[in-house]
Amino acid sequence: MFKTLEKIIKYPRLTQEYPKKAPDATLFVGRPEISSEKCSGCGECAVRCPSGAIEGGTGTGKAAISYDRCVFCALCEEICPKGAVRMTHDFELARKDRKLLKSTAFTVSEDNMPELGKEELENRLEKRISKLFGRSLHIREVDAGSCNGCDYEINALNNPFNDIERLGIHFVASPRHADMLLVTGPVSRNMEEALIKTYNAAPDPKLVVAAGACACSGGIFRDCYAVGGGIDTVIPVDVYVPGCPPRPQAILYGILKALDRVK
Amino acid sequence: MFENDLKKLNDTFTAYIYSSERTIGNETYISADPEHIREICTYINREMGYGLVSMFAADERGLAAGKFAIYYTFADRTEGKLLTVKTLHGEENLSFHSICSTVHAAALYEREIQDMFGLTPVDHPDPRRLVFHSNWPEGRFPLRKDFDGGSRPERAKVAMQFKRVEGDGVYEIPVGPVHAGIIEPGHFRFSVAGEPIINLEAQLYFVHKGIEKMSEGTTVEKCLFISERISGDETIANSLAFCQAVEKMAGIEVPARARYTRVIFAELERLTSHLGDLTGICQDTAYGFAAYQFNMLRGWSYNVADQLCGMRFLRNINKPGGVRRDFIDGSEAAVLELLGRIRTELKDTVDIINANSLFIDRVENTGVLSTEAAQDLNVVGPAGRASGVRHDVRRTFPYAAYGELDFSVPEHNNGDVNCRMNVKIEECLESIDLIVKAINSMPEGRISEALPDIKPYSSGYGITEAPRGENVHWVMMGEASRIFRYKIRTPSFCNWPAVCLAVRGNIVPDFPLINKSFNLSYAGNDL
Repeated sequence: MFKTLEKIIKYPRLTQEYPKKAPDATLFVGRPEISSEKCSGCGECAVRCPSGAIEGGTGTGKAAISYDRCVFCALCEEICPKGAVRMTHDFELARKDRKLLKSTAFTVSEDNMPELGKEELENRLEKRISKLFGRSLHIREVDAGSCNGCDYEINALNNPFNDIERLGIHFVASPRHADMLLVTGPVSRNMEEALIKTYNAAPDPKLVVAAGACACSGGIFRDCYAVGGGIDTVIPVDVYVPGCPPRPQAILYGILKALDRVK
Repeated sequence: MFENDLKKLNDTFTAYIYSSERTIGNETYISADPEHIREICTYINREMGYGLVSMFAADERGLAAGKFAIYYTFADRTEGKLLTVKTLHGEENLSFHSICSTVHAAALYEREIQDMFGLTPVDHPDPRRLVFHSNWPEGRFPLRKDFDGGSRPERAKVAMQFKRVEGDGVYEIPVGPVHAGIIEPGHFRFSVAGEPIINLEAQLYFVHKGIEKMSEGTTVEKCLFISERISGDETIANSLAFCQAVEKMAGIEVPARARYTRVIFAELERLTSHLGDLTGICQDTAYGFAAYQFNMLRGWSYNVADQLCGMRFLRNINKPGGVRRDFIDGSEAAVLELLGRIRTELKDTVDIINANSLFIDRVENTGVLSTEAAQDLNVVGPAGRASGVRHDVRRTFPYAAYGELDFSVPEHNNGDVNCRMNVKIEECLESIDLIVKAINSMPEGRISEALPDIKPYSSGYGITEAPRGENVHWVMMGEASRIFRYKIRTPSFCNWPAVCLAVRGNIVPDFPLINKSFNLSYAGNDL
């Protein structure tokens, strides 16, 4: 008992303050970026990309990446003969519209909302939560065919480092209690019915966040007989979180994004 | 020994074993008469004592033989040899003799072959569907070469059968596929009288994505990325098994520095995975303090991963021929420091939980899996080692740098949750030591070898010890350096029947605890 108490006070605070404070992302593998100046349009990356996320690059066209398909394997960076691809540390990739994740996503402006500071975002989030969901947001997670990577990262939102409950967000056992469905996987054929039933079981108003490359677009499994092409082929999706798997902070960013959308 | 065994086998079944035989490294292939496959396999399994580690079919109708082939893979775990028996089945008779009445571990493989290839196992005691659910139409077999992998067959409504236990006061509890926790989908049917579970039936394959079909016709490069995504938390184990199979076919030696790097990542993956399981066990016994401690340690081991490669799930590391870049150089000190912290804290926490009699009372004698059942079902990994099954792939089929490093393998015999937990705790400490040893004796030099062209229709096994146990992959190369057949057998496939067996006689509230002590991957099983 004494030892237990000693341990409890030994590490007073492990929780990272994201999104209030940005984490040290220097070690993170983030989204790949293609420099249009350096890209020669040889098409090597488009041919070899395992998830078919790169388009163009043939003839005069410059290569461009669809982040909803990208599995962050860094192969394009490795093989580009011109060194035009660079893996950034950017992990806050969630967008409300899948079109914004296509090719030129990061050059067009998003909605008509100016980029808010982290603090401002969190303030607005808290206001929304308290207004819409009575100070708390309840999430039901559904695995619709993932490799379990995304699910472990969602699980990690509950660990002492991320502790999502500090933001008033809880994971619940039943869709009947949920305000939001957090869905992973490309929707496997055998999970389609269960996903639809879960969606129908959640009361309105409800939000859906698709976490991971598979959920956004079907990812690397897209073309196979037993999977669909992402969550939005089955149920409407509010926010897409790219990544393979997305880090807990990236998923958290997506959840915040979704809340901001509800007007 | 292996040579003698093989000779005896040949002598006993001279008429039924054909002479065509080849040996590549530690792999021996023999082809046999399908009419007598049951006797042959029973002899190999029972008399020679080799475990059935994989069984799969391949559609070789387009090749010289013009038939379907079924491969039965047995492992001689004392000498690290693999014996593969191959039978051929023509289109005129799409069936094969079931061997599972004597080689029990074959039961699920045979049902899988039935679903994927449309070959019927004759005399199978339980020939129900395995992979496909009620929505899959009759007569469509995805792993046949004439099935278009991109097609989406129409939705059907085929009745599914479940085992029914009948009697006074017996009732059923259906659970899933969407569970209460943040876990993968599976459907469980408990037949219960009062509190104790009489029978548990697990319907899996909710996350079946068709990975094996999808791998066919891809390049080695793309298939590597697919293998990394078989089961999220076993990225290294799966990609390494794939790489080893390819390296074997290509006949290349992996440079020493890459082999040591692979050990470091494989052990880091084991450490992370086991710490997660310990968290789960404590959470399911409502032991909050310990759950948070282990969860914190798991967080630290993710920090080690970030430090080394920037990916928490250890992706983008392996490639056939070595590793993709030098991950270790420059990070040694930071990693050793973090590991030191994990070791100290882990030891302290384990001391605390072991002194908690309430907790030990809950885990002891819960979910017992007998040694006999574990051997019959070929239960692998920590679950097997907790039930008195001694093998560990790192010992029996040394790969990467495991042959050059010194480590111990925990042995327990009771087969309960406590034993499985202790195996995992001991393996965590051993993994930390192994990483430290590998870093300290890290050789200098190159990190990868170029991959030459691979001869069409050569094949090779890649075996690794995943955190959940023995992981067997088999790759056959086709024309133009494209994959012809990729058979993945993860440890979860072997261990799922063991979970259903271990819960019998336990009360329903202990199911989550027992399930967590195995912590199997649904994705790795369903593919």
